[in-house]
Amino acid sequence: MMEITAKLLGQTTVVSIAGSVDALTAGQVTRFLSSRVGEGQTHIVADLSQVDFISSAGLRAILIALKESRQQGGDLRLAAAQPRVENILKMAGVTSILQVYLTQDEAVASFGS
Amino acid sequence: MDVFRHLRVKRQPDKIVPDSRGLSAEQLAQDSSWPITLRQVNSLPENAGKRIYRALIPPDLLARFGIDPVTWKGPNGDQPVRLRMDPQVGAVYLLVRQAASSSDNFLRLELADNVFNGIDLHLLVIHNPNGPRFDTDYDETGRPTLFGTARRNLAEEERAMQAGLAPAQVRVGLRASELVLRHLEAFLATLGHRAYFLEPLTYASAWVFERRGFAYVRGHKLMGDIHTEFQPGGRLYQALDGSTPFRQREQWRTVRGRAWAIHDGILSVLGQMWNGLRMVKQVGRHAGVETFPDAEY
Amino acid sequence: MSIRRQTTRAAELESLPRFRETIDAACQLQPGIDEQTRYDLKLAVDEACTNIITHGYAGMNPGSIILALDVDALRVVMTITDFGHAFEPAEAPMPDVQAALDDRPMGGFGLFFIYQTMDEARYETTEDGNCLTLVRRLHPAKEE
Repeated sequence: MMEITAKLLGQTTVVSIAGSVDALTAGQVTRFLSSRVGEGQTHIVADLSQVDFISSAGLRAILIALKESRQQGGDLRLAAAQPRVENILKMAGVTSILQVYLTQDEAVASFGS
Repeated sequence: MDVFRHLRVKRQPDKIVPDSRGLSAEQLAQDSSWPITLRQVNSLPENAGKRIYRALIPPDLLARFGIDPVTWKGPNGDQPVRLRMDPQVGAVYLLVRQAASSSDNFLRLELADNVFNGIDLHLLVIHNPNGPRFDTDYDETGRPTLFGTARRNLAEEERAMQAGLAPAQVRVGLRASELVLRHLEAFLATLGHRAYFLEPLTYASAWVFERRGFAYVRGHKLMGDIHTEFQPGGRLYQALDGSTPFRQREQWRTVRGRAWAIHDGILSVLGQMWNGLRMVKQVGRHAGVETFPDAEY
Repeated sequence: MSIRRQTTRAAELESLPRFRETIDAACQLQPGIDEQTRYDLKLAVDEACTNIITHGYAGMNPGSIILALDVDALRVVMTITDFGHAFEPAEAPMPDVQAALDDRPMGGFGLFFIYQTMDEARYETTEDGNCLTLVRRLHPAKEE
């Protein structure tokens, strides 16, 4: 019920997540993102357009990846979150500490060339 | 920021019923929804206790064997019902045989107060006294097997299994568990209890209790894993390799088949044993648990 | 018209999607529940069940979680019952949603989300088990 894939667009890695990111699947998300950061892919766009549900566990996975990417001099930015998912981010107050874009293109573009 | 709009918490599991030696008529006359323990019931005069415990046995069941539901006298005028209630002990034992001279009790019911002063169903055995007997309760040298947990009588177990019994049964069941449990529940409500507990002796008993509406305090995940691993390709399925009469391949399909394999120790392939499971029944409510969907008994 | 649904599952993470499905099924039948409300209900239940699964049955072979839903035009009442260790919310600190990234612990949003999305939250430990009752009013104005 959760699938995660990545593609490289220049210097930016676009990670697409589909399905639900809850306590059952969040660990997989963390491992996936951490291994990308570990390989030096520190410009990450997480495309959430196919994420229909996220809980605090999913939020935690995002924050961990955010911290790790920034520690390596990079960043994690979000794209295309559905309204309910965006609401979660707002409730938790994370929209002030991380960048959220309406589309994947805008998020990728924000990393510059 | 107002995060706690309305939160109330009850702390550590208090005893459901405070400890107390006895029970007076005045106490019985107080708040009728306050629960009382078996020990408190046992502290009443014996006849008062008898009246209360009479509610435990369904009159229909007694009538089937010609036993008077009020006097508990048998058709020969004997006393086939035995009730044991010790004043110092929080337990009650009910044993019913067809006639006082019968060798077996067809109904055995043991209830006991647990550490929280809730109530555990320690034992429930109901079988057809007229069915053929399989001596799985004693080994070849006559020592008790304790339902096949301390020792086993493999020859009798094999005969029992072929005859369609489940592990721990000496005679075929009476199909009366639903009736008995309904009465038990009404009895517990009389005492003011909202739930009761038990530890299922076998996989077959756990399945029966699921159907009667029990949920799990411990062991729900284990039951789910057992079901998964008995599916073709699973580890338990693969262990049904015919190495003993209780591990035949087709046993994966039925509750009884699985129960015999588990009784035979097959859970060791999962690094598990059949113990530690505990079930709970909320009075008047059915949990709807079905760890083996559409099971064939 | 009141809709009642109940699901009982093992207290393991694999059960989380099943509980969300139960809520989806009940919401299909009640026109007064919009998308955001439906999400909030699923979120609160998901967080509560995750707590039970992670802490409630720690050290034991997990028992059951019973989710019961009562939906009518005015409110949704959800009860989550388990038979494990009683929950002590006083031990769970609330997250600081204003803190900078470095100052935040990574977790702690579970309870917070429950309180943000539900109008009432009551927790009781009894002989029946531990029971968390969550209430979400659907049309606050209409209750007056």
